Formats: sequence, structure tokens, C-alpha cells
Amino acid sequence: MNPAVHLDGITKRFPGVVANDDVDLTVERGSVHALLGENGAGKTTLMNVLYGLYEPTEGTVVLDGEPQSFDSPRDAIDAGVGMIHQHFMLVDPMTVWENVVLGNEPKAWGGLRVDKTAARDAVTELSERYGFDVDPDATIADISVGEQQRVEILKALYRGADVLIMDEPTAVLTPQEVEELYGVFEELTDQGKTIIFISHKLGEALSAADDITVLRDGLNVGTVSAADVTREDLAEMMVGREVLMEPAASPQPPGDSVLEVTGLCVDDDRGVEAVSDLSFELRAGEVLGVAGVDGNGQSQLVEAVTGLREAASGEIRYRGESILGTTRRERIDGGMAFVPEDRHERGLVMSYDLTENGILGSQHDPPFARGGRLDWRASRDHAESVIEQYDVRPPDAEATAESLSGGNQQKFIVGREFERDPDLVVAMHPTRGVDIGSTEFLHDRLLDLRAEGKAVLLVSSKLDEVQGLSDRLAVMHEGSFSGVVDPATVTEEEIGLLMAGEPLDDDSVERAAVHGDADPTDGGPDEDPMDGTAGEGVDA
Amino acid sequence: MSDSGPGSGTDPDRVPSLARRVLAPFADRSVAERLVISLAAIVLSIAVGFVIVLVSGRVAECTTAAWTMPVTGMGFCYDPVEVYVVLFNGALGYPFAVGEPGLLNPTWSPFNLSFGLTLSETTLLIFTGLSVAVAFRAGLFNIGTQGQLVVGALATALTVLAAAPLLPEGPAAGVVLILVGTAAGAVGGGFWGAIPGALKAYADANEVITTIMLNFVAANVAYVLVLEVFRAEGSSVVATRYVPEYAQIRPWLFSDSSDFALVALAAGVVCIAGLYYLLEHTPFGYDLRTSGVQAAAAEYGGVNAKLTTVRAMTLSGAIGGIGGSVWVLMSEGRWMASVPDLGFDGITVSILAGNNPIGVLPAAFLFGLLKGGALEIGFQTDVPTELVGVLRGLIILFVAMPEFFRMIGRFVGMGSGGTGGVAATSSEAGEAATEGGETDA
Amino acid sequence: MRNVIQSDYVRSLVVGTVAVLGLLGVAGLAFPESVAGDLAGIVFSASTATSTARLAAPIVLAGLGGIFAEKSGVINIGLEGLLIISAFASVYVASLVGIGNALFGIPGIWVGFLAGIAASTALSGVFGIVCIEFKADQIIAGLAVWLIALGLAPFMSTVFFGGVNTPNLGANVGWRYSTAMVALATLASWWTLNRTAFGKHLRAAGENPQALDTVGVSVSRVRHAGVLLSGVLSGVGGSALALSIGQFVGSGETMVQGKGFIAIVAYLFGNYNPIGTLGAGVLFAGLDAVQVRLQQLGYAVPDTLVQTIPYVVVIVVLALVGRTRIPEAAGEHYETEE
Repeated sequence: MNPAVHLDGITKRFPGVVANDDVDLTVERGSVHALLGENGAGKTTLMNVLYGLYEPTEGTVVLDGEPQSFDSPRDAIDAGVGMIHQHFMLVDPMTVWENVVLGNEPKAWGGLRVDKTAARDAVTELSERYGFDVDPDATIADISVGEQQRVEILKALYRGADVLIMDEPTAVLTPQEVEELYGVFEELTDQGKTIIFISHKLGEALSAADDITVLRDGLNVGTVSAADVTREDLAEMMVGREVLMEPAASPQPPGDSVLEVTGLCVDDDRGVEAVSDLSFELRAGEVLGVAGVDGNGQSQLVEAVTGLREAASGEIRYRGESILGTTRRERIDGGMAFVPEDRHERGLVMSYDLTENGILGSQHDPPFARGGRLDWRASRDHAESVIEQYDVRPPDAEATAESLSGGNQQKFIVGREFERDPDLVVAMHPTRGVDIGSTEFLHDRLLDLRAEGKAVLLVSSKLDEVQGLSDRLAVMHEGSFSGVVDPATVTEEEIGLLMAGEPLDDDSVERAAVHGDADPTDGGPDEDPMDGTAGEGVDA
Repeated sequence: MSDSGPGSGTDPDRVPSLARRVLAPFADRSVAERLVISLAAIVLSIAVGFVIVLVSGRVAECTTAAWTMPVTGMGFCYDPVEVYVVLFNGALGYPFAVGEPGLLNPTWSPFNLSFGLTLSETTLLIFTGLSVAVAFRAGLFNIGTQGQLVVGALATALTVLAAAPLLPEGPAAGVVLILVGTAAGAVGGGFWGAIPGALKAYADANEVITTIMLNFVAANVAYVLVLEVFRAEGSSVVATRYVPEYAQIRPWLFSDSSDFALVALAAGVVCIAGLYYLLEHTPFGYDLRTSGVQAAAAEYGGVNAKLTTVRAMTLSGAIGGIGGSVWVLMSEGRWMASVPDLGFDGITVSILAGNNPIGVLPAAFLFGLLKGGALEIGFQTDVPTELVGVLRGLIILFVAMPEFFRMIGRFVGMGSGGTGGVAATSSEAGEAATEGGETDA
Repeated sequence: MRNVIQSDYVRSLVVGTVAVLGLLGVAGLAFPESVAGDLAGIVFSASTATSTARLAAPIVLAGLGGIFAEKSGVINIGLEGLLIISAFASVYVASLVGIGNALFGIPGIWVGFLAGIAASTALSGVFGIVCIEFKADQIIAGLAVWLIALGLAPFMSTVFFGGVNTPNLGANVGWRYSTAMVALATLASWWTLNRTAFGKHLRAAGENPQALDTVGVSVSRVRHAGVLLSGVLSGVGGSALALSIGQFVGSGETMVQGKGFIAIVAYLFGNYNPIGTLGAGVLFAGLDAVQVRLQQLGYAVPDTLVQTIPYVVVIVVLALVGRTRIPEAAGEHYETEE
């Protein structure tokens, strides 16, 4: 029997970049195949070739023994290839059934009407056959991310897909939703469908896939069976060297309270409560990590703290004083540094050069502003110093932000914010898109700040990052902390449960959550609160 | 950061750095590209205008053909070449002796009437162009400069008329009245601009629509006010009384009927320089520009978006209002109901200038030429002067589509690698960067 | 969520309007000699109704066109220009053919009507190419469309007729026709947007063009269609406006006088719903018609000031409904990744 998919010597070049270099890939029918690699390894490009989005510079796509030549995704769809993108291709204000049939609507009255009954029936039938529990009349904006993903799968199945490509399918799911997804994989392969999924997570590839192909720098490093390979082998294949451990934060006594949040409620853009009755305290010399699936209120929490969003109720005290009602400007001037989650929207002005970007947030403060005018020379010196310290490439203060790669943009933002001499650093996904070497550097700098007695609120979706850097780890679910735990002792499973909103019934966790409020005089030499947390950590 | 004291001006590094800062935008590829696109847009608009003149000359009725097409022998009522020659040559007061043996006209003087009219238009358009540009830079489409000018002009006329009797007649009083009148224009225009600014900031009302509506409102309300209350006795048109002669900005070197005062043009140029400095070298300018290009980043950087919106619109309106002051004090000597389309032309000027204050000067001059030339077209040819209005729209259309010129540039660039090649390489580089970015997504 | 608030808001506004009209009617009947009586007489008179119908046609039709363009992701702020160009072209061609004559069996005035539609569609086609293929800024390109039409129509009028205003044709299209067209266009638009596959594609193109692209439907084709439809509908509106009086007036802001911009507010006010747009358009036109009648009755208020009322109302309305949710991708260029 022919393999379902065979990619034969695929090379894809972009101006200045070779994204795929002579890659072979064979996927058997009815199997789950993981395409593993770091960011930029060429996984997505390869799949875009298979999906007809890119034409390969060299090489052929063979489906079920038949060589194909796709001009567009339409051809690929017709040949039975379906793609589920990482960012769902769904129209939010439309219903499930409208999205599933989009572009292939069953018609009535000679095309003058979409046959709604036929469309709904088809969706219901498919959904039942594969055991999906999706309401065809629900609006996309109202359903969960897991359900949206199933709608995407339904879309592909409705178009007769035999081969399903999924780009980072677990990135936006809770651990429990991930389990459900693996169930969906089984259901699909049982009925003869073939699944290829893109991932950069080892564990995921090992537990969900039958076979794993590792890409590195656009090259196929090898294909292995999931049954006879270890994590360490895979890690080495991915990175090309032995993997370094995350730096662990050495214990140190926290100082005075820097940030105190009490009963905070924040609404999102639609007026829905995104942060509900949240309380925590953050002290000088302490890193509070916030983990959680994206979209559980982390953004709104951070925006409320940094002054970009109004709190609906509750209290935020900074260095002992209430800052509700103070402007963003006042909070910046008060020594608050902020690495935002979206560098293209907020962190950088894309059309400005680095000199101009370097003063973003300090444009009214000396030494950049003096006597009502901007000192461009001081600004350039500042940008150059950030560029040098944080290894931003190209090292050119006149380069526009948009001309930099994502990782370098991120390094510049982190550098600018860290060098603000802040009392509080709020960092959201500070190393997103940054290569491994620079990530290590940024982590070291973050720990330096902690050692200098700065308070750090670190929000990240990288579990190893928050676990490795934090003194305490809060897990956020639906707007509140489902638990605050000791990162040194908590297990990944426990974090997973917390991310899904299931509290751990362990009173030591509760104690960790209120730690800091326990003794107003703490921080003294005779008591080490860190010790308390570590000692009473989760013993499960 | 050694140069913190006032002595830093002597820093040898400083001079080239400053010069580079000022000149950087022009060395910048994107600015160079914009310049090429603006020029190409003008050329293309002229070409399309040529065709329009030709076609309408074919369908219009006339006894003798003004132009006969070579080879085909087809006759046309309008001669498009003549139209443009009259337009540009006429706007300058005929410095070129077309068809004569000598190229230059020996009797031409720069202080002629036509050139004066052209410069008078240029002066007014500098203000309206700057008004639109400053709002644009803050990311706001102020289509309402026209209304702001109308209100500013009325405020100027009424203020000067009210204040004149309080002062003894004479040049000193004139200077005071001109300054007070201009301030009143700025306040009036600024107020009229602040309204859509506040509506945008606090009620999220689209400023394009509100400013257009406010133009109608300004024109109507000002008309009624003058008609019912402030109309000059015995005037056949709806207009106020003339402000005293000594309170008008009088022509110098140019003839009285040109209504052009060099001092007003100089004030316009000072305004350009001031606005450039404000935008590029002050924290407020930084806030304003950042709000314009990337509002979310501005807010992140501590910029109060709502306040900046109101401020930018107020500033924009104030400059438009000053334009109205100049119109009253230099051009008309009074407020009258038939206010020319200066505000709308300001949009074209600003777009053509790439919303760069310095670019406003040549762009305003070009439109001054078109306006001055339109008068000549009216005198010298049968072609309707509304042609200039069509050209205005065409220029905006072409400037709005840089991608079109990049495509042409890429096409031409393949063969010759001329100026078009610059545009081509820059946009290709951009694409490569984007695609490169996609691969690691 | 916001849509719910929005429709609640619109509903209360409609109820409020009906209530005010009802009260006015009662007051007018009770005190026929009062101002209320006069006003009621105006509001409920047949001539006000017909002039409302006449004035509503361009606003509603251009508004419907604007919905199609904006739903597809192209904000068409040049509706005003489309109305101007079709108003002129319809009168010009009608006079060219001659009122008594016919072309292919179609009476001259209707040939003019079709020509108006053709002119507007052609101009919208140019706008579409400029915005979609050449990635022009939609707002600036829309302004250009307006300014080109604002220059071109009086220019052509001067070329052909020797003045910016054309002579009167001496014939016109009755208000019944334009009313029928408005009704038909509203219903057809509603059906197209809500019941057809094209309507769904249009919505997807404006909300998430990539979703449409990845299922193999060309985003730019859908957007071109949306923009062309805005041209066709505005063309009907512009032709109806000019031919209802049989003349094109090109002085000042031309006879269109901002109706294209009011149309934009009408569809925003109607929350992109054709029925709501019809309601808003009739409301604005009604204001205008009442204003005209008030002047005829000789109220001492200066007519120019009364003319200002619709513009002020538009500003107030826009300030109140400013937070309408516009399509997610409206105003943005979409480049297919192929």
C-alpha cells in the first residue's frame, strides 16, 4: 500500500533564506506523525508546501502514490489535504455551521439561497460520526478554544480531507483539552484519516504520535518511531547539542512590599469580567511567576497593573500607595518597567528607528527631554548602549524596528525596559521568539534584577521558564489564581490541573498563596519566608 | 551623557549629528520614495488631465478647431498643450516667451500680478496644508480644515472690526489688530477643530464624517450670522464691513490687486519651520506622531491618546483658523460668504507633501500654480477652469496608491534600474523580510 | 454583546421617534392653529411624504451600497462622489438621447438612468482596483473619488452645457419609481447579505479574510464585487436624485450636498442592516423634507439655518452610535499568501 503522504526532496527558498533543504517525509495511512523542531526549523514552511500555499523550489508532493502539483490550497483541498492553522481560520461572528460550509455552501433555489437545513445536517452528521460535541448553531466567538479547534477539524473533514495537517495544535489548549485532542486523533485515525502535526514540544510528540520526524535548520534530521526513542534523544536531535537546564533562582529573602493587589476585577474589551477578585502581594527581590493558558485574564491583569486598562473594582497599591486612577505616564515615572506581550502593537513603533524606540515611555524625561526639546544625541547613545548590552542585531541605532527579526525586536524591548532602573518589572512572555542563547542571557538579566532587589511579575506560557525563574508560581484560570505554588516542588501534572481550574486540595498550597501577608515584619534576618514555602511545598 | 550643560552646543560631534537629524528624513529611502511617488503622481495626473481635455475638446462644440491631431487630422476644440502652457506659464506671469525666438520674456518681472496671485494662493495653502498635515500625523483625517478656516476667518473679521475703534488709527494699531485678529482666528478655528477631536476621543465618532458635517454647519451658520447680524450696510453680497486699511496685511513689492504680502508668506514659512521642529524635536511632537503611526504603542509609552487627539485637532484647527485670518486680512479685507475651497485644497497639499511640514511648501506652491493658472485658463482658453478641481482629485488618487508606482518601478527597474529601481528594491526587500518572518512562525 | 446593546439602542430610538410623531399628530389634531398644528400638517402631509421619498432615495441606496463595500472590508467613503457622477451622467445622457426619443426601445430618460448607474459603477470599479490591487489607503482613495467627481461633473457640465448647472430636461422620474427602487433594493440587499452564499463570503472577507482565502474563495474577487455593488446602488441613487427633478446642479457642493456622507451615517446607524439603513435614511430625508416645507410656510427662521439641522443631527447621531462594531478587517489590505 502506498503511503498517504510522501514528500520527495522538498527544497523551499525565500530571498536570502533556505527554509527547507531537500526534505524527505513519508507518512503512512492511518497514522499520527509529529513534525518536531524548534522555531524557525522550517516545519510550517514544509507543511505550507504540502498544503499548496507555497510552491516548492524543488521536489515533489506525492499523495497515495500520485505525484501532485498544487497551485493553491484549493488544489490541495481537492486532493484531500486539510490544514488546521495555529491561529484558527474562523469568522468569529458567524455560526459553527456557517464556518464549516464556508466556500462550499449547499445551495437551494438555483443558488439564490444557502440550504441551511442541508448544511446543518451535514455538520451534525460529521460531528456525531467522530464524537465531537459541537452545537452547529453556536457562534464561534461564544465557544471555547477547544471547540473552535474541533470546528476547524470539521471544516477539513467536510471538504473531504483524508490527511489533516495541524500546526501546533496544543499551543492554546489546557492539558485536559490536550488529552481530549489525543482522543480525537484516535477517533480520526481509526476511521482511516492520517494526521500530521507540527510541534516543538517533545512530550507531546512522544505521547501523541506514532512516528516523529525532526527538522533542524530546514534539514530533516531523521524520522523515528515514537515507541523506541527517548526524550533525551529527541532533544539532542532538535537542538543539535545537549540541552541546558533552565537557571534556577537561588533563594533570597524578599524585601518590602512593592505591589499589592486586593480584590481586583478587570473587564476585557467586550465588557466581560476577565480578572475576578484577584489578590496577591509582590515584594522587592521576588519573582512572582504567572502561568496559565493564554486568555485566562493574564493580559487584563498586566494591563491593569501597568495602567493600560482601568480596573472595574478592587485595589492596586504600588510601594504602599494606591495607584488606581493614576495614568500610565505616572506609573512609568514611578519606576514601573513593562515588557508587553505584543511587540508589534505596543512594545515598538515599527516604523521608528531604534533611537526613537529607545525613548518610548521616557520621551518626557531627562536626559532625553530637556527644556521642552528632545535630545536626539542622548537618545542615540541610549539606544546604542541597549543594543550593545543585549546583543541586538544588526547593531544599528538607525535601523527601523520593522527591519529587525522578532527575536532582536524582543531583545531591544527587554533591554530598554530592564535598563529603566525600575522598582517593578512586569514582563509578559519576555523570551517569546528569542533564540536559546539570548533566552539564557535574558533569564540571567532577570535574575540579576531580582538580586538587585527589584520586584518582578513574570507572565509566561513557557512552563519551564516560569518554573525556573519564579520564587512563587501562580496559575491563572478564568480570571483568578487557581493556586499559588512553590515552583521547586510542584509537578507538571499539578500545574496542568490548576491550569484547568481544578484546585489542589492541599493546605500547604493555600499557605503559599497567602504567604507574605502572614507576618508584616518579615524580611528580617531571623526569618526566611522562602524557606517556609519551600519547606511546606506540595508533597504529592 | 556628558553634554548636559548649555555648553554642549560646542560639542564637535553635535553639528554633524544635528545636520544629519534634520537631513535624515530626506536621505531616508522611504522619504525619497515618497518624493518620487509624489512627482510621478503629478505627472500622471497631468497626463490624465491631458486626455480629459482632449476628449472633452472632441465632444464640445466650437466653430474652429483649437488643435488638430497629427496624422488623423481630427479636430479638437481644446488644445491640451496650450492648456498646460497657459496654466504654468500664466501662473508665473509668462516668464517664457512661447513661440518667440528668445525663450525668456525680456519684460517679465517676478513682481507681476499673476505671480502675485499664485503666491497669494500658495501662502493660504501653506496654512491649510499644515493644518491637515498636523492632524494626519496624529492619525486623524481632518477634512474639516475648510470649516475651521471659515470660522477662523469670521472670528478674525469680527474681532478686528470690534477692536479697531478702541485704538488710535495708525500702523502701530494695525500691527496690534493683525496680531489680535490672527489670534482670534486661531482660537475660532481651534475651537471648531476641538469639537470633532473631542467627539472622536470621547464618543468614538469618526472624524472624517463629523468634520465634513461641521464644514456644512460652519458655512451655514457663518452665512446666517453675517446675513442677519454683521452684514455691511448696502452690500450686494453677504459680507462684513471691510476692516480698516491699516489693519490689513498690505502687499509689498507686488501690486495691490495681487492681494499678496510677502510678510504673510514669510509667516507661513516660519509656521512650517515651527511645526517641523514641534513634530521632530519635542516630546509633544513625539507623542503626536506616535499616536498617529501606532496608537497602541503610544498608549504603552504613556501617551494620553484622548488628550492627544483633542490637542492635535485643536492645533490643526488653529492653523486652519490662521489660514482664515490671512484670507481675511490679506486677500479680502473682510469676511464674505463665498469662501474658496482652501481647506479641501489643503488636503491635497498635505497628502502630496506626505504630511511632512517641509513638503507642504513645494506642494502648496504647486497648487498655488494650479490655482493661479486656472484664472489664466479662464481668460485665455475655452477650457472650463473646473479642470483644476479634477486634477486635484486625480493627484490625491495617484498619491494614495504607492503600490501602483512600485509595480511600475519594479517593471521599469528590471530593464533600466533608474529611479524606479529604488522603489522596487525597497519594496522587494520589505517582502523578503516579511516572508523570512513567516518561515519562523 | 455590543450588538445586543446596539439593537436595543436602535429599538428604543425607533420607539422614541414613533412616540414623538404620535404626540405631534395628537397635538396637531387638537390644536390645528398652533405651531404643533403646522408642524403636524407638514410632517403628515402628502407633499412632505413624496419629497421625503425623493430625498431618501440617494441616501438609502448609497447607504446600502456602502454596506456591501464595508462588509467586504473596503470602507467606501467616496459614496458622495458616486452619487455626483451618476447624477450628472444620467442627466447628460438623457439629454443626449432626448426626452422624446428612445434607444433600443428604452425611453431617453431611462437610458439616462442606466447611464448614471454605469458611470457610478465604472468609478467604483476604479476605486476598487486602486484599493484592492494597488493597496491604496481606502480613506484617501475614497476622498479622491469624491473630489474627482466634485471636479469632473461641473467640468463636464460646463463643457457640454456651458455652465455648472445643466438645463432642466423638462421631464422627470416620478417619486413612485424611486420609492419602488428603494424598497426593492432594501429587500434584495437584505436577502443577499443574510441568505446567499455570496453574503456569507462578503462577511467573511470583511471579518477574517484569511478564513475565506484558506477555503479557496478569492478575497479580492469578493471585495471587488462588494465595491462594484456599492457603485451600482449609488448609481441608482444618484440617477434617481437628479432625474427626479430633471436637472443636475453643479454649483458649490453640487446637488448631492453631502448625501453620500449622510448615507454612511445611515448605515452605521442602521448597524449594517439594510432595514435599519432604510429607517435611518428615511429619518434623515424626512428631516430635510420638513425643513424645506417649513421654509415654504414662511417661518422666520433663516432657511440656511434650518438646512443645517440634518448635518447637526448626523453629528449627534454619530456621537451616539460612534461605537458601532465595524468589520474586523475593514480598511485593511489583504494579501493572499499564494
